[in-house]
Amino acid sequence: MKNTAVWIFWFLTTLVLIFFMQNPIYLIIFLLGLISLGYHLSEKDEKSTWLKKNLQFLATIIFVSAFINGLFTHSGKTVLFSFPDSWMLIGGSVTLESLTYGAINGITICAIFLLFRVLNCALSVKQLTRLIPRALYPIGMIISISLTFFPSIQRRICEIKEAQMIRGNPMKKIRDWLPILIPLLVSSLENGIILSESMTSRGFYTRKTKNTPIFLIIGLIIGTFSIFSGWIFLIYDYPAYYYLPLFILGGIIIFFILRALSIQIETTKYHQEKLSKNDFLFLVFNLTFVFIFSSFMIFGNPTSLSYSPFPAISFPKIEFIPIFLTLLTYLPIPLITYDHH
Amino acid sequence: MKYRFFSFLIDLIVFLIGVLSLIAPFVFPEISSPVFSQSSYPIVVSLMILLCIMIIFIEIQSSILDSKIIAFLGIIIAMNAGLRFLENALPGPAAFSPIFFLIILTGYFFGSRIGFLVGTLTILVSGIITGGIGPWLPAQMITAGWVGQFSALLNYPIQKFNLKGKSGEIIILIFYGAFWGLLFGVIMNLWFWPFIGMIPGQNWLKNASIITNIQRYGAYYFTTSLLWDVTRSIGNILLLASLTRPVLKIFNRFQSRFTFQYRLAENQ
Amino acid sequence: MITINSLTFQYPQSSQPVFKNLTFEIAQGSLTLVTGESGSGKSTLLRCFNGLVPHFSGGLISGDIDVFGLNPIEEGPEILSKEVGFVFQEPEAQFIYDSVEDEIAFTLENAGMPYAAMHSKVSEIIHQLKIEDIRHRKIRQISGGEKQLVAIASALVGGKKLLILDEPTSQLDPQTADELLSHIKKMKQEQGLTIIISAHRLERLLPYTDNILHLAKGADPIYGPPQQVLSQIDLVPPIIEIAKKLKISPLPIKIEEFPKISPSNSTTHGIKSNNLNDETNRSILIIKNLSVIFDKQTILKGINLNIRKGEILSIIGPNGAGKTTLLRSILGLVHKKGQIILNGDEIETLDFAQIIRQIAYLPQNPNDLLFADTVTEELQITLKNHGLEKSQEELVSFLSRFNLVDKKNAYPRDLSIGERQRVAIAAITIFEPEIILLDEPTRGLDYSTKSALYTFLKAWSDQGIAVILITHDVEFAAQIADRVTILEGGKITFTGHPRVAFTQFKPYQTQTARIFPGRNWITTQDVVNN
Repeated sequence: MKNTAVWIFWFLTTLVLIFFMQNPIYLIIFLLGLISLGYHLSEKDEKSTWLKKNLQFLATIIFVSAFINGLFTHSGKTVLFSFPDSWMLIGGSVTLESLTYGAINGITICAIFLLFRVLNCALSVKQLTRLIPRALYPIGMIISISLTFFPSIQRRICEIKEAQMIRGNPMKKIRDWLPILIPLLVSSLENGIILSESMTSRGFYTRKTKNTPIFLIIGLIIGTFSIFSGWIFLIYDYPAYYYLPLFILGGIIIFFILRALSIQIETTKYHQEKLSKNDFLFLVFNLTFVFIFSSFMIFGNPTSLSYSPFPAISFPKIEFIPIFLTLLTYLPIPLITYDHH
Repeated sequence: MKYRFFSFLIDLIVFLIGVLSLIAPFVFPEISSPVFSQSSYPIVVSLMILLCIMIIFIEIQSSILDSKIIAFLGIIIAMNAGLRFLENALPGPAAFSPIFFLIILTGYFFGSRIGFLVGTLTILVSGIITGGIGPWLPAQMITAGWVGQFSALLNYPIQKFNLKGKSGEIIILIFYGAFWGLLFGVIMNLWFWPFIGMIPGQNWLKNASIITNIQRYGAYYFTTSLLWDVTRSIGNILLLASLTRPVLKIFNRFQSRFTFQYRLAENQ
Repeated sequence: MITINSLTFQYPQSSQPVFKNLTFEIAQGSLTLVTGESGSGKSTLLRCFNGLVPHFSGGLISGDIDVFGLNPIEEGPEILSKEVGFVFQEPEAQFIYDSVEDEIAFTLENAGMPYAAMHSKVSEIIHQLKIEDIRHRKIRQISGGEKQLVAIASALVGGKKLLILDEPTSQLDPQTADELLSHIKKMKQEQGLTIIISAHRLERLLPYTDNILHLAKGADPIYGPPQQVLSQIDLVPPIIEIAKKLKISPLPIKIEEFPKISPSNSTTHGIKSNNLNDETNRSILIIKNLSVIFDKQTILKGINLNIRKGEILSIIGPNGAGKTTLLRSILGLVHKKGQIILNGDEIETLDFAQIIRQIAYLPQNPNDLLFADTVTEELQITLKNHGLEKSQEELVSFLSRFNLVDKKNAYPRDLSIGERQRVAIAAITIFEPEIILLDEPTRGLDYSTKSALYTFLKAWSDQGIAVILITHDVEFAAQIADRVTILEGGKITFTGHPRVAFTQFKPYQTQTARIFPGRNWITTQDVVNN
């Protein structure tokens, strides 16, 4: 199961779900799902490293977050111990509630970071580069070139370093970078000239795109601002009819402007990704989840999604549908394992 | 002229949106939505920053990118990313980020847009290479972009005091590098700050003032990243001190070949 | 048909035109070889055909060019890219992507070709060049010769009328170069492709060439069929030089065209003994049973060598045989089994600093060494590294050996290729090493720079410095080496006199040896002397 678009769609859905989950039970299930998904995606020899590294990461973040939160904030009823009030910033009581709150934050951070890590495992470098929208084709070209030249530059650094060392350069101080950097820079720039000649000889567009009309850029700014305001309304608990239209409006503006810009660029793409059976299946499942989630948010009672340990600690509520939604992270696992490629 | 004014305006607006997103924790009151998780706050900030970066990219594309500059940037960025991974192989203090001095020098010499691209794309490309695409990337990208972008401004004082080619030029660049060594860390921590739960309103005393928040932030910063930032600054200082002059010389030599070449095709 | 009429071009920064009033015609389907010393304008001229000059380079141009109905001066490289493909010298620097298919498709992507058409064109060119087996590989994993084939494929994809190649084989070893050229010949025959190639070493290309254009700075260009042009120029491949000296006409351009000379049974042309067999000449480097294993692969096995003071040893062999590893072992950079004894000390007992105090190393790319502001400073840097000092007069007199006194304050990167190599050599030998290691120093050099190199090597040998030289250039090695070692697959298959190496081992025979089988002649000088 390799299709880029399908993975991205899954990624976005999971991200949104995490955004709305504050209930630690759901979050923990998510987290475990992501860890096991990453495990399945890793190469054989990297599987144990994945587990080790990420469990360590999880433990550290949860601990640090709980610790800092416990030290610096002092609300909550169940007091564990206190510092004298006169102590700056940490003066006051350390409560179970604030520790829990910190821990929950830690879990969320972990979930988000892990989600990104899983995406990195699922997509190759090339797939990641192809995500860059066509409107940004020249930038994408710069990135492609960097990625192509990176290994040869690493090799040159070693070659130059060795040659200079044999010449007697001790390579001890910062000054000693100079004998490596200067030849590297010069030969790289000379290669750059050849590269641009090579690109030009093969018809790469050299005219700068006709000055993008200002109004398109202003349109993008308006779109961004619209999304920004929508988000402000969202986090300050305004009703949905405030922020949803802003999001949609912003999204549409940006989408169409990017489209207009990409039409100006006449190049075509050689690489076409196919949709395998598993990809398609996954897409369908994903859409189902999106549908269930939206219905839940609009018609159901989303209160179980939230949770606060304050003012006094309590056990979080659990409901069936959110638990079902957390399965989204486990879904790819069978599809990957039974991939017929 | 009109276009230049507009592009400056665009830069300014985008810059403001970016900065606003980052300092929001100090400025906005408490998040009150019961369902929207507060730890997702930084992710959305990243999205905003990403959109801002995209706008600037589009603007740059339409103004200066041609095949020579694209090739030039591709190679410089590959080099810078290569240097970043050399932290282990070459001498220097820990957390030593050798990427900044090239960002500063390319911005200073070739202009703010090129500096911005070198900063932003170095971070992005090293992220892609290490398989480290993460929510922190946009914030790192735009900050590194600012390092490159603003170094172009150094041209004004340096030219005014006629310091080009003299040690005064290097000293000003060194100060700039040291300053940003610290500021980069400050900004990155700003982005990470909300993750630790120190998000708008939730944890401070109700109606606490901005000053108190800044105090808290100062404490947090001091304990977590000051040391790393100081080493970064020192690294920048040392690199700039020894490498500026030769690198600028090389840029000079290659400039005529990389900038848009007038072509004289005359028939005699 | 390609016509050039009174073409004159001058770079923006220079005061002299590169060439003046060039006029000639190139027939469709022909192969034209462009030759001349470095700096004579070959690369510039080649770039005129597809519009890179003047659109990419700037400068002042006058005259007319017509390339199959298109005018590069007016239209520029984007339009010309539809009919003209260009392949550059450096296999590494001309690729944008890391995958073979993507790179080949790049041209078509730029032209906005729809996907299905792109796919078929890419498959077509891959089939024509017979590179199906590397189709799905990454570019960094394929060999130098394969890289150039990919470069040709991406230049030609979509059907072009003209292919221009700027020194395409100078970075390749001889076998790979021959393979590449036979591919090109096939393209020419099967597709009727017009080809323009520039090269320094002509001998390989002569059999396929229809016309030669010889450029010389400050002199008139010469254009015509090979025999005609070669009779008029001085620096020519050995086969031509011999033919000229023996006054054979018309000049043969292939070994087969040379009139058969019966093998001689006389022993008067025996192997010249050299005084290196003299017992009193001490060894400076002894290698005993050296083995190097890296990553579970055996790179070198059972190497035994005894190198004496003042000896010039040439190591030859195919790519990947372990030649560079051998040099690196001598420097102590590689984990090894066996012994390497430098001046009486096993190198494992020495510090790295002690080793390099006695050995100088010229890397494959001498530009890697240059980073100072002036030539003199380059020398001073090496001295400082070794903790030595020399006075200004000593430095100047040292530079005079390399003909660099007038350049002593010049910025090294502004110098020509030959001068830069001399600066690099000066910079690594300023501390009077006992052994000098050279890794492929003749790559991409023209004849006159090579003869300067020859002079240095001989001078060092006379001073008692041992020289170890890795090279693919058998003609050069035949002239200079006292001994030859053939390294194949990590093992030494032969060590001994050059006359034996370059006559009896088929892949390494010099042109002279092939023309005169059975005698022990390996250079034109041998022919002349007899």
